[in-house]
Amino acid sequence: MTREELILKWLDNDLSPQEFEAFKALEDYDELIKLSNSLKEFKAPEYNTSEELEMVLSKTRSYSKTSNNWLKPLLKVAAVLAICFSAYYYTTTLDTIIETLASEKTNIELPDNSLVNINALSSIVYNKKKWSNSRDLKLNGEAYFKVEKGSSFTVKTDHGKVTVLGTEFNVKQRENLFEVVCYEGSVRVDYKSKSKILKPGDNFLILDGKYIATEKESTINPTWITNESYFKSLPFKFVLNEFERQYNLIINSEDIDDSVLFTGNFTHDNLEQALKAITIPLNLTYNIQSNQIVLIPRD
Amino acid sequence: MPKNLKNHVCEEALFSSLFNKHSKNLHDFLYYKFGSSLNPKDKVQDAFIKLWENCSNVSPEKAKSFLFTVANNMMLNEVKHQKVVLGFQKIKPKNYTSETPEFIMEENEYFNKLQKGLANLSEAQRTAFLLNRIEGKKHKEIADMLDISTKAVEKRIYGALKKLRETIKEL
Repeated sequence: MTREELILKWLDNDLSPQEFEAFKALEDYDELIKLSNSLKEFKAPEYNTSEELEMVLSKTRSYSKTSNNWLKPLLKVAAVLAICFSAYYYTTTLDTIIETLASEKTNIELPDNSLVNINALSSIVYNKKKWSNSRDLKLNGEAYFKVEKGSSFTVKTDHGKVTVLGTEFNVKQRENLFEVVCYEGSVRVDYKSKSKILKPGDNFLILDGKYIATEKESTINPTWITNESYFKSLPFKFVLNEFERQYNLIINSEDIDDSVLFTGNFTHDNLEQALKAITIPLNLTYNIQSNQIVLIPRD
Repeated sequence: MPKNLKNHVCEEALFSSLFNKHSKNLHDFLYYKFGSSLNPKDKVQDAFIKLWENCSNVSPEKAKSFLFTVANNMMLNEVKHQKVVLGFQKIKPKNYTSETPEFIMEENEYFNKLQKGLANLSEAQRTAFLLNRIEGKKHKEIADMLDISTKAVEKRIYGALKKLRETIKEL
């Protein structure tokens, strides 16, 4: 047996007693044994299997594997759904606001098919979501309502409240003026402590905080619906304010008395005609200066 | 054979038995291959945790090679090709009462040489050689552990011995 074979067998701890004697006789026996013994000093640190196992198990137990598998993606999905839902909820429960600018009119249909005509420079606010429970809306300006039959329909303004069951009526709310005209059915108007039921043709007018009795309305629609503004014994300044709204311009009335009562109408489609319609009866004339109209008394 | 009945290791009892069987070998393998600076104990834990996370995909027969591969890769990710230095137990048992200072000095010198010699071996040589010499593993056991042939183990160990002796003589 060669020296190399002996060493190999020794390395594999596989020497028979005889072979071991032969190995002992090798010249480098001492060196090999010394090397081998010295190597023992390089032994890896003690490894405590059960202690290490406890540590690993405590880690694997600390997180639940199953929940980790489906909970994370589920949470992601849930988060997205929550965002979508809240966005949807937020947008659908938001109040709907409809506004008109000066010299603009619009028609809208409410969720219950009730129709609203909105006059110039007015706004209504209502909530689509809550509409089926309570037909409430807020009006600022003037609007004509054709209400479908159903539960009570309420129009709130800064001046007062109008409640109906199903009818056609016009609500006009301007500075110092609050007017409700009933065209069909019946309307209840609450103004401060005052409450009045209007029958078709009845008119409820508050001017500068005072109730003014007027005669019955003969028209079946408010005139502004057909692009005309009609006034009956109203101070001239209300006429001018309405004129400004319909034509989107400024009227200078410094030189005239705007508290005279005016009865008459003006059209919304023809500025010249309309100006004549409001000035001639009061013996006035006018000057057009850029976007301003100056009213002056006729000599 | 019970191990053929299962194709996953998701049971804690099975997992524990795998741990008892392989963790020490894995630890020694990592220690002799990469030294102590990269904390082989932590790598063993990490490898077993990886095994637990992937337990449904690993059959018990594949677990050993999974563990060794994962741990080895984790080590390689950290290793920066520095020389592996194996620490030797500095405090030696005082068996000899008649140690002369020269003897102690010679001994220390010899250990330093040995340390350098081990650092000079290739990873494969050092791992096989030290598993054999220090842990007393038979060639066959090492071959099973590293998934190589007995012949290759023999070659590595013998090569390591030769190279080590040469280095010691040179120094």
